[in-house]
Amino acid sequence: MSDRIKELTETARLLRQDVVRMIHLAGDGHPGPSLSVADIVAALYFEVMHIDPKNPQWEDRDRLVLSKGHSCPAVYAALARRGYFSAEQLPGLRSLESMLQGHPDMNKTPGIDTTSGSLGNGISIGLGMALAGRIKGRDYTTYVITGDGELEEGVVWEAMMAAQHYHLGRLITFIDNNEMQSGGPVEKISGLYPLLPKLQAFGWHCQEIDGHNFAEILDSTKQAQAEEERPSIILAHTVKGQGVPFMIGDNSWHKRVPTESELQEALAVLGGDR
Amino acid sequence: MKQESTRIAVTETLMELAGKDPKIVLVCSDSLLVIKAKPYVDKYPERFIDVGIAEQNAVCCAAGLASCGLIPFVATYAGFITMRACEQVRTFVAYPGLNVKMIGANGGIAAGEREGVTHQFFEDLGILRTIPGITIVVPADAGQVREAVKAVAYNSGPAYIRIGSGRDPVVFEKPLRFELGKVRILREQGTDVALFANGFLLPRVLAAAEELSREGIQATVVEVHTLKPLDVETITEVLGKTGAAVTAEDHNIIGGLGSALAEVIAEHRPVPLVRVGLRDIYPRSGRPEKLLDYYNMGVSDIVAAARKAMQKKAER
Repeated sequence: MSDRIKELTETARLLRQDVVRMIHLAGDGHPGPSLSVADIVAALYFEVMHIDPKNPQWEDRDRLVLSKGHSCPAVYAALARRGYFSAEQLPGLRSLESMLQGHPDMNKTPGIDTTSGSLGNGISIGLGMALAGRIKGRDYTTYVITGDGELEEGVVWEAMMAAQHYHLGRLITFIDNNEMQSGGPVEKISGLYPLLPKLQAFGWHCQEIDGHNFAEILDSTKQAQAEEERPSIILAHTVKGQGVPFMIGDNSWHKRVPTESELQEALAVLGGDR
Repeated sequence: MKQESTRIAVTETLMELAGKDPKIVLVCSDSLLVIKAKPYVDKYPERFIDVGIAEQNAVCCAAGLASCGLIPFVATYAGFITMRACEQVRTFVAYPGLNVKMIGANGGIAAGEREGVTHQFFEDLGILRTIPGITIVVPADAGQVREAVKAVAYNSGPAYIRIGSGRDPVVFEKPLRFELGKVRILREQGTDVALFANGFLLPRVLAAAEELSREGIQATVVEVHTLKPLDVETITEVLGKTGAAVTAEDHNIIGGLGSALAEVIAEHRPVPLVRVGLRDIYPRSGRPEKLLDYYNMGVSDIVAAARKAMQKKAER
């Protein structure tokens, strides 16, 4: 394992600790989906994206749209640890005075590029951002993270058609494919699967990876960046609750608050309170 | 009656703005022909985006463009923006306060005319009025559409402009100065009753005021072209002078100008109010003028409403 990957693995471990602690203190939130996306979030904020935490509105920065806005605890933790704001803000999640809303708000939280939370809309907003980059002659890349369940929304496919039509090579979408949605397994709720052929049929550059393997995340991102003509999908297979064994396979952790003892158990398996 | 297309007025004004400002972008959902935008596309192809028949995508895409500093205008039929893409308008444009300008065609039953209910939109204003942070403009004719497009382009934040069918009556022969957020008093002839109106119904309201005048009733006519933010101060002043009010609009009687006035009246200056508009029913296909008469938005309906409001005032 390279040193960089070791560092990212460590960062993701800390983000996961932040996530369970924040949701415990907030008394509300979505631990399972925040944990499944944590490695992708760590890779983007700590390795991939060209950003400047001291200048969150930098015009040439790469953009991130968190279409699955309910996973924002992972992003808030990344923003704090990346230096956009103090980590002292994290315990305030979802409280009245806090800059950290229950779902992302671009006007309240430095580093959040898009207000999100209503599912399915992220690729469409990313489409606009990528087109804006082209119109303005800027060289940034727009990243979108979407869940798999939210791909059931029609606007997702509207946006996929348009992005392909406009040859938006600078639009890269990660699918946090944890195979679960609020009501249970995606497979039992909709006809979304098999997913890959559908994505390919829409003309995007598609890759399939292990979303908890940093080498694969980074390598697939490089390949997506190299694609000039087609927008890219990185279909990342993930596990809901990844890192906290008692949350894995129990979809009640889609939205559930760890008790004090559950928090301690989670922190212990996540490597203690270091 | 002389006509001028409010749709072409949008396109021509956008071309004028786009020539001066590289931030102007037009977003369509296969609605290029709706606003006759071909000349714009020919001149500014790189600043024209057509997402196909996909209004939710058009609105989110515009939000993405605006979040990167551009000024996108989304233009299609009024109901497809305000109903099909309502949540996108609310959550991704209005809530973050993004600089997205929305143009809604076929506003009202007359503008939807022969198309039938699927293309006649009489709920757009009521829907948008309940969403915080959207400037809502209902211009009276093509000349006023030109002024409104310019005004919202450089008034930061979300805005909606209601336009018509393309066969739209000219209300004002000479261009009138347009002040966003202010009512315009068109006729201040007396204190018997105030007629508040907007959009393509204005000629009928002016005709009604003439007819009332012949009967010796002096009406003040107030054009409320900006429905939000509402010019509560001037409206309250007028209500104080007349003591009786009528609203007339080509919109459902719930949610639009009539409701807005009822709110002002109840909170600031209680006076009798009679509302003229579509009476909470679905209309039919038909020629615009006939439709308005059939659905109780005729000159005689406005005259009768004024008499009724005055009678209520007398009974108080």
